[in-house]
Amino acid sequence: MRTVNLESQKNGTMSKAKEKSAKKRVVEEDDDQLPIFDKDVTEKKAGEEDDADLSDSEESVFSGLEDSGSDSHDEEEDAEEGDDEDDDDAVILDEILTKSSGVETATEPPATDKNTPTVNMGVLFLLQKQYSRVQNVKTAPKQKRKMKKGEGVAMDDGGEKGLINTRHGDEYEHDTSDEEDIRNTVGNIPMEWYQDYPHIGYNLDGKKIFKPIRNKDELDEFLDKMENPDYWRTVHDKTTASDIRLSDEQVDLVHRLQKGQFGDVNFNEYEPSVDFFTNEVMIHPVTNRPQDKRSFIPSLIEKEKVSKLVHAIKMGWIKPRKPKETTPQYYDLWAKEDPNAILGRHKMHVPAPKMRLPGHEESYNPPPEYLLTEEERMAWEQQDAEDRKLPFLPQKHSCLRAVPAFSRFIHERFERCLDLYLCPRQRKMRVNVNPEDLIPKLPKPKDLQPFPTTMSLVYIGHSSLVRSISASPTGQWLVSGSDDCTVRFWEVNTGRCMKTLEVGGAVKSVAWNPNPAVCLVAVCFESTVLLLNPGLGDRLVVSSTDQLITSYEPPEEDKEQAVTWALSEGPEHDNGHRLTLTHPKAVKQVVWHGKGDYLASVMPDNSSNLQVLIHQVSKRRTQNPFRKNKGLVQCVSFHPLRPYFFVATQRYVRVYNLIKQELTKKLMTNCKWISSMAIHPGGDNLICGSYDCRLAWFDLDLSTKPYKMLRHHKKALRGVAYHKHYPLFASGADDGSVIICHGMVYNDLLQNPLIVPVKVLKGHQITHDLGVLDVTFHPTQPWVFSSGADATIRLFT
Amino acid sequence: MSQLQTRFFTDNKKYSVDDVPFSIPAASEVQELSNVINKLLEAKNGSHSQIEFDFLVRGQFLRTSLSNHMEAEGISTEDVVEIEYVERFTAPQPEECMMHDDWISSVEADSEWILTGSYDKTARIWSLEGKAVMTVAGHTDVVKDVAWVRRDGLTSLLLTASLDQTILLWEWNSERNKLKARHCCRGHAGSVDTIATDPTRTKFCSGSWDKMLKIWSAGTIGLWVVWYSVLNWPTWLNKTEEICSASWDHTIRLWDAETGSVKTTLTGSKVFNHISYSPLCRRLASGSTDRHVRLWDPRSKDGSLVLLSLTSHSGWVTAVKWAPSHEHQLVSGSLDNLVKLWDTRSCKTPLYDVSAHEDKVLCVDWTDSRLMLSGGADNKLYTYRYTACETDAGA
Repeated sequence: MRTVNLESQKNGTMSKAKEKSAKKRVVEEDDDQLPIFDKDVTEKKAGEEDDADLSDSEESVFSGLEDSGSDSHDEEEDAEEGDDEDDDDAVILDEILTKSSGVETATEPPATDKNTPTVNMGVLFLLQKQYSRVQNVKTAPKQKRKMKKGEGVAMDDGGEKGLINTRHGDEYEHDTSDEEDIRNTVGNIPMEWYQDYPHIGYNLDGKKIFKPIRNKDELDEFLDKMENPDYWRTVHDKTTASDIRLSDEQVDLVHRLQKGQFGDVNFNEYEPSVDFFTNEVMIHPVTNRPQDKRSFIPSLIEKEKVSKLVHAIKMGWIKPRKPKETTPQYYDLWAKEDPNAILGRHKMHVPAPKMRLPGHEESYNPPPEYLLTEEERMAWEQQDAEDRKLPFLPQKHSCLRAVPAFSRFIHERFERCLDLYLCPRQRKMRVNVNPEDLIPKLPKPKDLQPFPTTMSLVYIGHSSLVRSISASPTGQWLVSGSDDCTVRFWEVNTGRCMKTLEVGGAVKSVAWNPNPAVCLVAVCFESTVLLLNPGLGDRLVVSSTDQLITSYEPPEEDKEQAVTWALSEGPEHDNGHRLTLTHPKAVKQVVWHGKGDYLASVMPDNSSNLQVLIHQVSKRRTQNPFRKNKGLVQCVSFHPLRPYFFVATQRYVRVYNLIKQELTKKLMTNCKWISSMAIHPGGDNLICGSYDCRLAWFDLDLSTKPYKMLRHHKKALRGVAYHKHYPLFASGADDGSVIICHGMVYNDLLQNPLIVPVKVLKGHQITHDLGVLDVTFHPTQPWVFSSGADATIRLFT
Repeated sequence: MSQLQTRFFTDNKKYSVDDVPFSIPAASEVQELSNVINKLLEAKNGSHSQIEFDFLVRGQFLRTSLSNHMEAEGISTEDVVEIEYVERFTAPQPEECMMHDDWISSVEADSEWILTGSYDKTARIWSLEGKAVMTVAGHTDVVKDVAWVRRDGLTSLLLTASLDQTILLWEWNSERNKLKARHCCRGHAGSVDTIATDPTRTKFCSGSWDKMLKIWSAGTIGLWVVWYSVLNWPTWLNKTEEICSASWDHTIRLWDAETGSVKTTLTGSKVFNHISYSPLCRRLASGSTDRHVRLWDPRSKDGSLVLLSLTSHSGWVTAVKWAPSHEHQLVSGSLDNLVKLWDTRSCKTPLYDVSAHEDKVLCVDWTDSRLMLSGGADNKLYTYRYTACETDAGA
């Protein structure tokens, strides 16, 4: 042991130690080990020599961490809050521990070497020293850190430390001189020092221990060896210089030790081991104390990473604590599905028809009222199978046992199957239409005012039925022609007859020139068309009209005309007669063109093409526009704006273009006999009254068929009229009534005219089955005049 | 409900009764109330003779029973009812019937003479007693309107407007019964249907079918201003610079006579036939083709306000005329042959219907001398004498 100690002390000079011849075995054994140890030891030595450096470096590391820790204390704490960071801490701790404990681990293999316990002891001594030094170094800079580390070491390498401690105790036991050899008290000194003395030392009592008197030489040794049978068990004790004979027990002990066995015979080295820490998981921890924060050693790399992250967060490059999407995400698998695809069919699923529950008829013992009588049975049998109310005959049985097998079972099941899979099932969209809704929503007449509502004035004077009336363009005068062969001029607002003119026949038609600059009235009776100047209104106009007529100069060559124009003179002229146009046949109607220069007259005759004549007053010219006879002409009219000419025959209205001289349109009235016709001032609409009680409204742009057919009158219509400005039209009929309708025409071509009947005006007496013969509107006011067979003209306002 | 607490009062001192509440049967009508007042007056004054009274509850004439009236007017029957009573406006008594040869188109009377225009192309001057004094012949066509311009002693200036598009200004000496046509006003291009003289009697205004309204100066005849409108019935307001015209285009326009610009337009829904202005109550009365007499306030800025509608006629109202001395009364003539005397305090029913005419009534007028006149299509000019009640003095 001492050699070991010596050697360990001479570790610095290992080469010299090798030269030592003494204890070759030990040296030889050490040869294997020493280089390793040497290396380690030199490293240790180097470590010792670099002690300052090492400590410096360690200090720098730790202090740096400490600084950073102090700097970013909050961050550390923050970081410690997270589980991940805690785990990292633990990892870091382990790493650090392994690093710092690298010294011990490196020494572990020799420590576990059983073959060289002594050497081990020495090495252990060294290790222990160095370890404590390292500890000292660590302690110096920071008490805290040392404590932490110490604890870590203690906790992780507790087992090894325990070993060290036990060895330590042994060493004291054997190293203490007074305890070691109580027979000689000289202590641990070289015994050569007592060579020259008779004693070898002192015993406990202080008395000299004397050497044996006779020193044995080689021969004695030999003799003894040969003679003494206990020689092999005799051991020379250097301290007392006496031979000690080993007892049998001691010999056994030596033998056992030499065999590598335990010294104690009773020691059972193969006793079952009882682990202090079992591999079984116990329900209670050995210690539940959480790891201290102070045991955390942050790492530099981690710190760099963290500081980078912190910087990034500060700069806003990273958004910490992004709110997590807490709402679960679902996917609508069928979102893009076309609802009309096959799947859409499922929406329209119609469940299969359910079977009817059996009723009393199906009972085996039905109540008697369900049983068919003979007649019913006969009727049932004669009915078609499809028409039968019941597909079977109710039968009465006395008891259930008497019920025979159901003969139609297969049949019935089959039909049920047919029902289930062959019967097309689909949802029928039932259209629930309230018949009230089909009636078009017409505005209330109240909202369509103004329109004439009451009779205001009656113009009395005629003695026979008044065929025709016409209002002056100013609305001050009214002219009427009657069967009593007179033409009367009325003041509209008083009903005063201003003038009465006798003509030579029943007046069929009168027409006031629509041009306000011309004061002319056309009157037709028998076969004559008379142009009158009533002398009413502006004197200037009256005189200029006369001038217009007299200023006519007959052309050079006199053309043969269908009518003869004659200028009235003398008393007739004083009466107002200006021009007389003698027609070949009876004239029924005269009508002015809107400009007031042209005049059309109608001579209905089914056998001739000379039915319509157009006269030009200023040139006293007459022409027959039609070569062919298209039927009995009832009435004609000029288009208010364009050069169109409307000719109504019995059933059709033909529209001619006067410039192109062609037929533009042929309107089918669906009437049996047209009586009258009026053109809307806009020119795109037309109404026709007929003797079969109908009034047809044509939209010329829409179709050649009537846009609307009104059958409000009970008897034949005699006259129809449009108002010039207000959206009104009127119709007079033989039932004595005038019906006022609101007929709004829109500028929008897509919007159809709105036609609302608003008022039935009654007042005329029915005379000779004739009621109202003509209607006309006041040119400026919403008033309507009607002339009747009762010889009166009535004004409705 | 059978008894009502009432208190009677009147402006007329002569008939005042004590200001104490009376309990009156709720069903009592005018006659009963009148009897009550008469009884009270007799008790007060022995020499009192029976007088008919009319009663006003909150400015409305009582025409039905008291309870009905209050129910219709929404007056509480809990409180004491204040009833004003006035001497009844007695029925106008027919006085004269002046026969014409033709329809009478217009009439204007002043305190001494009556001027009528007729469809026989003449105008006539009558005395108030109904004696034909003068026939004014000169027009070639129907005389549509006549007007007195002014009277200086025995000479008078009068106007006649005619269908022959002229207005003639005549000077008539009543003593010598000489008539002289002073001027012929030409310029209208249509029949002149109406003329109106201004309150100062120096200008007149004419409306015609040529849609013109022309102002003429009566002194030195000359055309002043011409405005465009559909057939107008002009009337002068009391202020000389304002003319009001009612027209066939459904409007009543207020014109500034100086500048010829429209100041206000009142829009009606029907054609206006006649218009009259009362300087006493400052209201316009218009007769239109929808049977109503309407009252307008010419000062209202928005022209849509009709103050009152007097509805009883069954035909066009052809003539309206305010009473010259009573702020509530007006007379109207209509195509239904009736002349109606109205009090604006009783808009539902007129005071009196005068059914003398057998044909359309075309013109009405009153005079200060308690004479009402109406002429019509039956060629007759009727005069009625009415007794102006004492309350008129206060009016």
